[in-house]
Amino acid sequence: MSKANITRRRLLATATGTAAMTGGLVTWSGPWKHNRVWAADRPIKIGITSDASGQYANSGASDRRGMMMAIAEANARGGVLGRRIETVHIDTETTPATGSRVAERMISREECGFLVGAVSSGVANAISQVAQKYGVIYLNTNSSSPTESGENCHRVKFVWDGNGANFAQAAIKNAVESIGGRFMLLTNDYVWGHDTARATRGLLDTYGGEVLDEILVPQGTRDFSAALIKIQQAGPDVVAAAVGGDDQKALRQQVAQLGLGAKPAWINNQQDWPDIYGLPIDNLFGVFGTTWYYKLDLPGVADFVQRYQAMYPDTRMRVPGNVFYNGYMATSTLLDAIERAGTTNNIAVIRALEGHVMPAAQRMQHHDAVIDPDTHQVQQTVYLATANQAPSEEDDVFKILAQSAPEDVRDQNASKGCKLESYEDTPTFDA
Amino acid sequence: MLDLLPHIINGLTLGLLFALIALGFTLIVGVMEVINLAHGSLFALGAYLALSTIGADWFADTGFGTWWLGLSLEIRYALALVAGPILAGLAGMALEVCLRPTYGKAPLYGLLLTFGAALVIEELIRLGWGTGEQSMPVPQMINGAFWMAGLIFSKYKVFAAGFAILVILAIWLFLEKTPYGAIIKAGSHDSEMIRALGHDLGRLRLLVFGLGAAMAGLAGVIMAPIWGLRPHVGIDVVIPAFLIIVVGGVGSFWGAVIAALLVGLSVGISGAYAPAWSMMSMYLLLIAVVGFRARGLLGRKTALEA
Repeated sequence: MSKANITRRRLLATATGTAAMTGGLVTWSGPWKHNRVWAADRPIKIGITSDASGQYANSGASDRRGMMMAIAEANARGGVLGRRIETVHIDTETTPATGSRVAERMISREECGFLVGAVSSGVANAISQVAQKYGVIYLNTNSSSPTESGENCHRVKFVWDGNGANFAQAAIKNAVESIGGRFMLLTNDYVWGHDTARATRGLLDTYGGEVLDEILVPQGTRDFSAALIKIQQAGPDVVAAAVGGDDQKALRQQVAQLGLGAKPAWINNQQDWPDIYGLPIDNLFGVFGTTWYYKLDLPGVADFVQRYQAMYPDTRMRVPGNVFYNGYMATSTLLDAIERAGTTNNIAVIRALEGHVMPAAQRMQHHDAVIDPDTHQVQQTVYLATANQAPSEEDDVFKILAQSAPEDVRDQNASKGCKLESYEDTPTFDA
Repeated sequence: MLDLLPHIINGLTLGLLFALIALGFTLIVGVMEVINLAHGSLFALGAYLALSTIGADWFADTGFGTWWLGLSLEIRYALALVAGPILAGLAGMALEVCLRPTYGKAPLYGLLLTFGAALVIEELIRLGWGTGEQSMPVPQMINGAFWMAGLIFSKYKVFAAGFAILVILAIWLFLEKTPYGAIIKAGSHDSEMIRALGHDLGRLRLLVFGLGAAMAGLAGVIMAPIWGLRPHVGIDVVIPAFLIIVVGGVGSFWGAVIAALLVGLSVGISGAYAPAWSMMSMYLLLIAVVGFRARGLLGRKTALEA
């Protein structure tokens, strides 16, 4: 038994310390704590998980600008549920391990109630695993691997971009019929590339094409000569490329230099606007997919472009592209869902998002879009485009060739692979 | 074999370009024993400065700018090929002045300083030229493709490889046949002896660092039309450059050239037959060489004494 005397001073000090620690723990407790309610005047805090370095740094910046414009507009309207929106941004470095760390920190230390942003599917998958653990809603704005809404889907994750399977659906059938069925695949050696190539193979089986060979290109490849020589030796009708980010930029330079852009025909699964902006038109070869273009002849598009230019007058990218668009649309739809739910309770907001139909006019696309309740992927219009040889202005480099309705390009395999966690298994909290 | 031949040619071409990238790096390591982590950023800086020289970015609105833009692309490109490396070399000299307090101290200080310089230069590039992708125009005569043995080859790549051979030979002649080269080589053996013989060691270091940085800038100008141009393009440079000087033997001129050719061949051939391993192949080469010969291929001969 201790012989230490308990003095009044020590008792008070111990009690004060214990109270402070308990208070600290309560304050520090992250959003995983069930049924915690924040004060109504407390800001809603959104964690921006976009890349500021690495392969997708440039696209990450565009993604972030889209989110920030949506948030600025919401705050200008008086916030959401009367609460101001605040943001925290930490660079996810186009690295999955960093994505996990950033998500963990944003939730447990920064007390972010929502996470938004991704370009790399590997990073998005890493973030979403952490987000699901805490029940924090996560918007994957711009990554395009089919697994994001397939086997890697989560109850808290919503996927906003068209995926590799959607774009392949839009392009492959047309290419087999009009150009020929002998394909070569040029594939970035990571999850998005693999999944996109798998989707292309499946479609080729369906439409009677064949794969002569697949060339896997490691991320970080800067010299594509070996691959291009091999393509020449094989002489395919079509090269279906799933190469992204800086790798794609180097590939484009080298294909343009060789004058190989016209023959064989190229299908570049998706063309992100930041990857091509400012490059000469001969770098933009082949046919590619996109979800939005700033010259779409639809109501609201011109106004959207003007708002972008007013908010970012000094940005080198003078007009918004698909990456910005996805960042904006995802964030504004999330804020709208909170408003519709009338609460920041995560489960209520998830329910408000699931199955939500977004009218074409609001989306500035040709067809209504819907958030698939089974996979959480936004089913939307997909456009096929090529280089615009007769641009109306300097930035008008895309020529839209065709548009496909969401049901025509649906990724049929996603719902087979996706098993969303139940609501009961998802931690609940009020952000 | 006929199928393999284009890949061997491609690998050798790539190797020559790698040699161009690594030579400035090995020069600085050999003479100054400083691992210049800003080599990649100086590579990018040289390319961006050349781009601005071609496009008259900063003086296009002046009368001189109008006259300048009236010159043919061939002339502007040739002048950019000189201006970019010179300006990168001056930036390198400024960096060397900053490095002086670290001489004689633990190597970590120099490493940290050049790392910091790399970040600063990259950020300055972002501020000056923006974050997006840019494309460097090249004269029509070296643009496009030509056919050989039924395959298309890039004219520019052949030009770049030929240019790399000329630069390698010029640097070798400079080091072997000029008094400055002799002092630099001697400095790589024993810098204190150079000082004892009455040569200005500070000026020697300034010259070597400036030359190494100018070579980084020159490599940047040459590689920009192949790799594209973005602020962080220099990241792609440091690792192959470092790997090449380790495989070749630290400080060895011809060791670096041979190692660069081997790296080019391994990347080029694996890129054709096992493309998923093309990046890994250079690391496997490093393991294979250093596993058998820790000093690298020509590591016994110290810097530039070939």
